[in-house]
Amino acid sequence: MTSTPTRWQYFADGIIKENPVLILMIGLCPTLATSVSARDALGMAAATSFVLIGSNVVVSLIRKVVPGSVRIPIFIIVISTFVTIIDYVLQAYQPALYRVLGVFVPLIVVNCIILGRAEAFAYRHGVFDSLLDALGKSAGYGLVMLVMGSVREILAAGTWFGYAVTPAWFRTAPVLFMIFPPGAFLLIGILKGIVNRLTASKV
Amino acid sequence: MVNSKAWMVVSLVLTCTIAAVALSQVFSITKPIIDGQSADALKASLSEVLPGAAEFNELEPGTAWSGKDAAGNRIGIVFKTSPRGYGGPITVVVGLDTTGRITGLGIGADMKETPGLGLKAREAWFRDQFRGKSESEVALKRDNGTLDAISAATITSRAVTNGVRKGFAQYSHHLKP
Repeated sequence: MTSTPTRWQYFADGIIKENPVLILMIGLCPTLATSVSARDALGMAAATSFVLIGSNVVVSLIRKVVPGSVRIPIFIIVISTFVTIIDYVLQAYQPALYRVLGVFVPLIVVNCIILGRAEAFAYRHGVFDSLLDALGKSAGYGLVMLVMGSVREILAAGTWFGYAVTPAWFRTAPVLFMIFPPGAFLLIGILKGIVNRLTASKV
Repeated sequence: MVNSKAWMVVSLVLTCTIAAVALSQVFSITKPIIDGQSADALKASLSEVLPGAAEFNELEPGTAWSGKDAAGNRIGIVFKTSPRGYGGPITVVVGLDTTGRITGLGIGADMKETPGLGLKAREAWFRDQFRGKSESEVALKRDNGTLDAISAATITSRAVTNGVRKGFAQYSHHLKP
């Protein structure tokens, strides 16, 4: 990894090494709440990625003219503008997904991943690097959401992206428990354990 | 210059202005689509429970509609009621023909019943058993009626039947010519 340029790491670190959910442990609430099925989880990941990429790019563009003392309010305005845009767009073009995600779309405003990256990265780096950072963190978030949504949907409903992937006997009595919050906590604990094991062995 | 007090104010005002302009643009593009969609969704949910209706007229805002077929004859009414279920209100949409029998029953997707139990109220076997029933027949078997309850979800099942009966009481006067 030492021979690869650091720019690549801005992107790649977001996937495992600095995974927003499993390593930085931020943005857990929407992760637990909206990962009930693979499709909903990916929808939420896509909406969050749009806001994260948009806010990282804009914050990085304006970072030199933003007064330090009011930077947080300005970041919040930028973020909430992108959130409102995705809120309208989902409502207009993906009404079914919008109904499922419900209150968690407006709540992207307070998702720590986004404000965290704006303050910790985009405010201190150039546009291209901030874009790479946002793409990497989005990929890491999307990966976690995909895994959680898939596992929960397969265990709780016996389907994956709405298609039946388990035998009929399983689908008549699936592990319903996984669709409830305790199932989400259990799963994220297991994922965290796996990631801890993987990252620990590298040291 | 970047940290002067004046620029602090100006930068905030500027950010808000740009954000407001951008949002009003997006809003003006998506508003007609969003409105069209909720109108379409309402029409679809009404025609699902009153098959054959081509046109709906609102009788009471958001709760009762009369349905006409393509020839303009009144074929029945649709009413909407929101009884309290196990996890919150359940939106129940019921179609009645002119003789006061149920032509169809729809359950809103927004209900918060328990997945695997109360959520089964949306399944066709439960909703279909209401079809053809008159007011006095709408009750669970354990309440001396004719309908099967969802197993382990009596509260939800009873909420739906009570909601339908309450709707009958409230809206069936619209059926009179």
